[in-house]
Amino acid sequence: MEELKLKLKQQIIEALNLQDTKPEDIDDNAPLFGEGLGLDSIDSLELMVLLERQYNIKVEDPREGRKILASVQSMAEFIQSKQPA
Amino acid sequence: MNKHRCYIQGSAAISAQHTFDGDFFSAPMVTTSTNNLVAAEPDYKAFIPPNSLRRMSRMLKMGLTAALKAVQNSGQPAPQVIVTGTGKGSLSDTEKFIRDIEQYQERALNPTPFIQSTYNSVNGLIALQQQSTGYNNTFVHRGFSFENALLDSMLQLHEGVGNTLTGAFEEMTDEHFYIKSRIGFWKDTPTGNAAMFDHNTSGSISGEGATFFMLGTERTPNAEACVTGMKMLYKPSAEALNKALPVFLEQHGLKPTDIDLVITGRNGDINTDHYYRVLLSAHCPATPEVPFKQLCGEHDTAGAFAVWLGAQILKHQQLPDMLQSYATNVPDPIRRILIYNHFIGEQHTFFLLEQA
Repeated sequence: MEELKLKLKQQIIEALNLQDTKPEDIDDNAPLFGEGLGLDSIDSLELMVLLERQYNIKVEDPREGRKILASVQSMAEFIQSKQPA
Repeated sequence: MNKHRCYIQGSAAISAQHTFDGDFFSAPMVTTSTNNLVAAEPDYKAFIPPNSLRRMSRMLKMGLTAALKAVQNSGQPAPQVIVTGTGKGSLSDTEKFIRDIEQYQERALNPTPFIQSTYNSVNGLIALQQQSTGYNNTFVHRGFSFENALLDSMLQLHEGVGNTLTGAFEEMTDEHFYIKSRIGFWKDTPTGNAAMFDHNTSGSISGEGATFFMLGTERTPNAEACVTGMKMLYKPSAEALNKALPVFLEQHGLKPTDIDLVITGRNGDINTDHYYRVLLSAHCPATPEVPFKQLCGEHDTAGAFAVWLGAQILKHQQLPDMLQSYATNVPDPIRRILIYNHFIGEQHTFFLLEQA
């Protein structure tokens, strides 16, 4: 799980071009939107695309997105839950 | 009001030279040994919040920053109208989007390059930033893109609009440079801008940049120059071109001898530079002439850079050091400048600028 979270942080930084941010600057449980990284609605679309491209996971119900993209922790848990046992 | 008359109340240019900041008039010419003049990008952080900056491509940053600086330099409130011209738009975003379509087989497409690949994305950003909800248009007409934007702005002013923000933007990418090299746009061997007129060969040096003007009908304290006329000719015959210049000047009550300086779009291409030589030797043989494309490179909207250069010369009443060697007998004062530029021998434009 720790490895997945680190990889996810690196992918978020690259996808969203967060130039001055390092993986260690992102707290696992800090909110990604509003406070924390201060992301916006376009970023949420970019993160949905990231999940599809990197993990082959499509978020079918957009209402789920808010919960899934709440933090790195919630994203990692979602990815893990979708991976085959 | 003459519908072909407006004041440049403020301007800004991002180019390969020190046109955005630094002393353009005393700075030495920025040179390259390749055939591609790359724009010197300013520090965007002074103009664009970091959170917005991270999502913008190079072209969007250059366009928005030049636009904001032009408004700032004019001392005017936000523009009522925004009109721009671009030959290629946001090329890097377009290329990224097309690559993604291919790579991900039309699935999982990233929204940002899609949104920003449109030609009017720069205008949209300016309008959002300036909260300018008025008329907003982008012209995409190859070598007439900026010219049509300027014409539209003049017509808007003639209709009673208080001011317009008018500009042009262009970016060069590796892919686009390669594609155009295949059809002979650029010189075959690395030549560089400093030597582009020394080689008797075809092709030119590529360029890019963003140039913006705040235009209005009133002469303001910051006014740099007055645009008093413009004429566009599409693929004119030699005879039509020869007739057009004296007619254009006559329409503005001028004789060729009333022109103090001619700025030409000579670009070192032996296939198309003869237009300048033939026309000027016929009508303005004694008028000093300076070329401008060694400063900004050849691109669809290079005419906007020429207008900016002409306005700066009129405002400062001197030639930049880097142009001194081209003309020795420039009159004092410089009251009137004729700009003659063409794009690949197809789209020809005359601009007339006067002291503000």
